[in-house]
Amino acid sequence: MVFMKKIGEGLSCSIKKEVTGELVYIQEINDVINLFDKAAGKICIVDDAGTTTLSPILSELTGTISTTGSAGSHLAIVSREFEIPCIMGLSFEIEDISSLNGKKAKITTQEENKGILYLLE
Amino acid sequence: MRKLKYVTFFTESSPNPTLVGGKGLNLSKLGTIKATMPPGFIVNTNAYKKFIEKSSYHDQLIDLFSKNIKPEEVLNHSKELKSLIIKSTFPEDIKKEIKEVFDEKFNNSLKKEVSFAVRSSATIEDSKAFSFAGQAESFLNNNNLDEILISIKNCWSSLFSPQALLYLLQMKKKGINFSLLNISMAVIIQEMINSEVSGVLFSVNVLDNNTTQMLINSTWGLGETVTDNLVVPDMIILNKNEFKIIKYDIGKKEKRSIQNPDGSGTILIENDQHSKSACSLTDNQLHQLYNLGLKLENEFNYPQDIEWAIQNDVVYVLQTRPITTLKDKP
Repeated sequence: MVFMKKIGEGLSCSIKKEVTGELVYIQEINDVINLFDKAAGKICIVDDAGTTTLSPILSELTGTISTTGSAGSHLAIVSREFEIPCIMGLSFEIEDISSLNGKKAKITTQEENKGILYLLE
Repeated sequence: MRKLKYVTFFTESSPNPTLVGGKGLNLSKLGTIKATMPPGFIVNTNAYKKFIEKSSYHDQLIDLFSKNIKPEEVLNHSKELKSLIIKSTFPEDIKKEIKEVFDEKFNNSLKKEVSFAVRSSATIEDSKAFSFAGQAESFLNNNNLDEILISIKNCWSSLFSPQALLYLLQMKKKGINFSLLNISMAVIIQEMINSEVSGVLFSVNVLDNNTTQMLINSTWGLGETVTDNLVVPDMIILNKNEFKIIKYDIGKKEKRSIQNPDGSGTILIENDQHSKSACSLTDNQLHQLYNLGLKLENEFNYPQDIEWAIQNDVVYVLQTRPITTLKDKP
């Protein structure tokens, strides 16, 4: 039995497809390099663009999450280009984002472009 | 009229895209329709090509451009390329032409407190096919020509940032080959707008591709906080047929980017509590943005993604490009 626990909510800024994938918290460019050939099936979380831009691996990803930003952020624009679900300005209901690494999650969109992130347990 | 080789003006009626890059092309179109934009000029790709050709490190650069690299080699490759570009010196004729144009254009401005933005315009960015959004960098708040020349080299070297190299490797995986030998970059030099408010305007609501609405993101200070997702900006949805605010969501806007008061570049400062919770745009400013969205969509004959900045209640267009995510993209 799979349990769904809501862990965050933000603005759904790209395609409204429901997807599930493995969470990866990206904090530096090396994290992007490490994912280069294994980005498929991953939902990546970033805090801001900075040097950690996901663009290079974006086309392979299942979803993108940013704790800041909105529809006009480059990350949202490129996510839309590749038709990958993207939640911007997501407020987490948990303290330690790193603890999510490797865990399964689902992105859904509700009314008014509300993007919800669920942990699958 | 003097023939310029390395500089192109925004008023050029039919600029060559390979000479001015995607952003330069769109700014030139803005120049010809007399949009309100910061004065400036384009250091075109002739300058980049000549700079590489005359570099004391030319052979090393060509070797690095031609080398097939793996993702794990990207950081070192990028570092080597950037270092060679920064170490190279400007050929005298390029420097002379840029200086002459700069002096003519900004002679009066220099008496005031102005600074300059230096933005990249790569030949493969901001096209209708894909925007290459955010891959190449901008260098803001340059206070004099010497700082501008350094920023031009930094812009050129951002063609080879780890992110840009990885992006090109990813495109290659998909069968789209852009050789580093063929990519070049123009650079936009513009007077810097020290904006009180800035942001992005989409002339359609890109959240659900609703062409009867517009979407605006806005925040205090310089607009890089919106494009680089450093804040949650305000989000306003407007009705398009007739001006009407459909939705005004106030974002947290924790920080703002401002010109570094002690030198070049920008700094981030914390917004006070009132600014965080206040609307960043007045009704009058929203009206101006609404009219701008209609005008540019009409002029470019396609929905636009517009970066704008407001100083003393005047709306300046910093750049515009086609929205790359609509279903009917040509």
